[in-house]
Amino acid sequence: MSLMDSLAAGFSLVGNFEAFFMLFIGLVVGVVAGAIPGLSATMAVALTLPFTFSMTPINAILLLLGVYKGGIFGGSIPAILIKTPGTPASSATILDGHPMAERGEAGRALGMALYASCTADAVSNLALILFAGWLASFALNFGPPEFFALILFSLTIIAGVSGESLLRGALSALAGLLLATIGLDLVYGTNRFTFGDPNMMGGLNFIAVLIGLFAIPEIIAMAWNPVAHLGRTRALGKSRCSFADYAKSFKSIIRGSMIGVFLGSIPGIGAAPSAFLSYSEARRTSKNKANFGKGEIEGVAASEAGNNGVAGATLIPLLALGVPGDVITAIIIGAFMVHGLQPGPMMFVLNVDIIYGLFIGLIVSSVFLLVVGSVAIRGFKFVADGPKRILMPGVLVLCIYGVFAVNNNIFDVGVMFVMGWVGYIMMRNRIPAAPFLIAFILGPLLEDNFRQSMLMSGSDPSILFRGPITWFFWVLTAITVFAITRSTLRKRVPLS
Amino acid sequence: MSQKSLHLRLGIVASLFALFLVLYAIPTFVFAPSNVGNIILSPKFWPYVLAGLTAIIGVALLFNALTAASDVPFEDEETVHPEGSTPWMRLGALAVIMVLVMFGLPRLGMVWTAMLAFAACAFLFRTRHPIAALVCAVIVPLLLYAFFAHVAGVAIPQGNFVRLP
Amino acid sequence: MKLRTLGSVLALGVGLIAGTAMAEYPERPINMIIPYGAGGATDISARTIAEALGTAAGTPLIMANVTGAGGATGSVAVQNANPDGYTMLFARVGSHSVNPAMKATLPYTLDDFRFVTVYEINPVACAVNPNSGIESMDDLIAKVAEGGVTYSSSGVGSLLHLAGAMVLKEFGVENPLTEATHIPLQGGGAAATAVLNGTATFICTNTSALANFVANGQLKALMVTTAEPVVGFDAPTANDLGKPRLNALVGWTGIAGPAGLPDDVSAKWGAWITEAAQDAKFAETMASMGSVIDVMSPEEAIEFINNQYSVFRALVDELGMRIEG
Repeated sequence: MSLMDSLAAGFSLVGNFEAFFMLFIGLVVGVVAGAIPGLSATMAVALTLPFTFSMTPINAILLLLGVYKGGIFGGSIPAILIKTPGTPASSATILDGHPMAERGEAGRALGMALYASCTADAVSNLALILFAGWLASFALNFGPPEFFALILFSLTIIAGVSGESLLRGALSALAGLLLATIGLDLVYGTNRFTFGDPNMMGGLNFIAVLIGLFAIPEIIAMAWNPVAHLGRTRALGKSRCSFADYAKSFKSIIRGSMIGVFLGSIPGIGAAPSAFLSYSEARRTSKNKANFGKGEIEGVAASEAGNNGVAGATLIPLLALGVPGDVITAIIIGAFMVHGLQPGPMMFVLNVDIIYGLFIGLIVSSVFLLVVGSVAIRGFKFVADGPKRILMPGVLVLCIYGVFAVNNNIFDVGVMFVMGWVGYIMMRNRIPAAPFLIAFILGPLLEDNFRQSMLMSGSDPSILFRGPITWFFWVLTAITVFAITRSTLRKRVPLS
Repeated sequence: MSQKSLHLRLGIVASLFALFLVLYAIPTFVFAPSNVGNIILSPKFWPYVLAGLTAIIGVALLFNALTAASDVPFEDEETVHPEGSTPWMRLGALAVIMVLVMFGLPRLGMVWTAMLAFAACAFLFRTRHPIAALVCAVIVPLLLYAFFAHVAGVAIPQGNFVRLP
Repeated sequence: MKLRTLGSVLALGVGLIAGTAMAEYPERPINMIIPYGAGGATDISARTIAEALGTAAGTPLIMANVTGAGGATGSVAVQNANPDGYTMLFARVGSHSVNPAMKATLPYTLDDFRFVTVYEINPVACAVNPNSGIESMDDLIAKVAEGGVTYSSSGVGSLLHLAGAMVLKEFGVENPLTEATHIPLQGGGAAATAVLNGTATFICTNTSALANFVANGQLKALMVTTAEPVVGFDAPTANDLGKPRLNALVGWTGIAGPAGLPDDVSAKWGAWITEAAQDAKFAETMASMGSVIDVMSPEEAIEFINNQYSVFRALVDELGMRIEG
């Protein structure tokens, strides 16, 4: 079958009102769910799944993909407005998005988040359509040693988000790494710092830690000084994202999209590290390096491009190999299977109409996202306008509901509160929270992949240097560490 | 506060914490089976590595603090709080509210606890709109309940007393 | 504990006002706890049957995923719940026969639960990478003797972990723990991928998790553990290979309540599940997931699980796989 035939077959499948309507509904559900802290994109997709059982396969998949993509963007709305990331992937957006909102530029930040998301989404979809086969076979080369090298390199992001002092950033990262050791040991299943509590055996809930670290300290700070915000403009106001802003950040957006595509096509990394990596790259290459973390619009653009770039690319291992890249794609694989479809190489032969139908739907989804997102930004405008001393208790209540909903566990609410105080103490001592979070995400991956490598090789460390991929990341890590050390020693500003 | 004194403080805390981990916490709370073949595969290996790194960072902070010549305070440092000791009491009150929330969630149910927490916080922050705050305190938890329980299908804790539909 | 007394007095008061406090069970929605993550095999199975079950019960079932520690966190939530039949658990082979058999540190035992049914069975298959040159179980065992054989699992105490060791043991490998290496990964998807990209030599897991890869020719199935062949798996059964003892190695999903669940509640669940399993949509979805619907009465379910537990426990004790501390 030629490309034209495939396209025609695909179009005949999605060329009806219902398919596009489902995609649209999915995006709306996703954006709203993503905008509610605790209701992550993962949960939204899982909750939508049962509704899709009775639909045609293509409508079902388009609906779920809509929810997924909408959810990843929606998370940036509360991240910018109330410093509470709606989904883990949007935690990098806080770093510059929230300071912008504090300055009265929420409209500009949200606009940039939307444009960056849509651009990255489109890039990601194109990568999926054009390079799926190639990227998938590349991703399959990633065993534990390659992962270990990649994650070790990703940890160098910490230097980029440490703010004014590298030492305090490193301290924060170590705290995150230590906290992530709580739970059952991967290889032997023994307890580590669980104190015999079954709630601790699964490790601390990531979203509870995340919200505790970012949102709760704001509330505590308000108790410390309830009138600190007075006299500052906080309204959404007339500020908008201009074309000049977009053009200025375009390079970062494209780079972020590429990072997203790359990390998304490798199963098991997810959107949050991608957003942070994209952010730290944008900072590293920017002229206004000092302004990052204080409300630099390019930072928002880079983080949002990084996390949305993942969305299309996670479908690469799913469609080409039948391998889920993260929890969301695992759910989508479930949807395929419920409809009797088996993602994998054979699908490109047996169900080529569905594949091309999906491609067409994906391309359209980027445009739809722009529409739905613009409306959503206007809809959430009132949040920034409300009196802050009523808004903050509202945020607290929202966080309680949201964190509970993640795992239906009251214990997680307690984790959130405790982490809130930890976050507040860190804030008072000028210890940045972002390194903590990155370390909390990457730490277990680093340890697990290290130990899996050791199991594979019978404790022979040379496996960590097998093949060109590991060498590539080792060299990259070495160069980055060297560059960080040099700039730190030369300036003597960040360290001392 | 200056960077010098901050790093001195953080350095002491980090070093002591690393010692605590190595000497007490890891041996007591991390369990390793007796048949671990290789030390690098032991469940204790990674925590010990992290404890070691914490010690290194702690020493580096101390070194940095002791060698720093200048003792310039941070520019954006908060000067003396205008209210004296009241902020500390408010922090304490917020902590008490959080503890009460944890206590109330399984017993009173999430909706009622959230209403009380909302109202308590709004008054703790001395809002200028007490009526609006009270109205929000009632409506926000109810709306969230309606959304989470009936749209998202989450089993919001109902407590032992008054159950919502 | 004054507050608790006060609470119970108040609760009694509300109950009296409500009138028929001891009305016919169920008088309000039932919380169903799924101890595994959204989108997993347990989750899809549970959510598929929930609708039909809710119709049979005449009250909605509220699904709640409580994940963590290989199903232990969610199981503990039900273990500690009020045994009034309003908090029930979707129990799974991992959380309720492998985990109790393997983990001395588990905060619950089988006696803390009262099973009302087991409604689906998932056959288990073992598979390898087609490029590995392993064509049959005999090839695999020969390879084990050469050394360097690894098997992937979704974590310590998962069905996959036990299955790998049990299959090798049945096929005559003296000490599977030292002669082959277990590589735990993050979840079932990652475990299958590990065989796909050569990280691990073989995997034994539910056929539903492998069907896709086997159909695409990315993995080669060596055997299935059931007595009957499994559709889509061109591989000998355990009985064909003369290892009928492996028939105990199957996945299942069931429903359990806390230990103190009243008899009448248990009986009601038995009736509901029989009715719900007739649902055509449920049957269709289960079939597409590669599961076999096999509704057991409460008594049969308890016997089935205890039987599987004792087989697993004997193996664990023999191999010294039990996790202490």
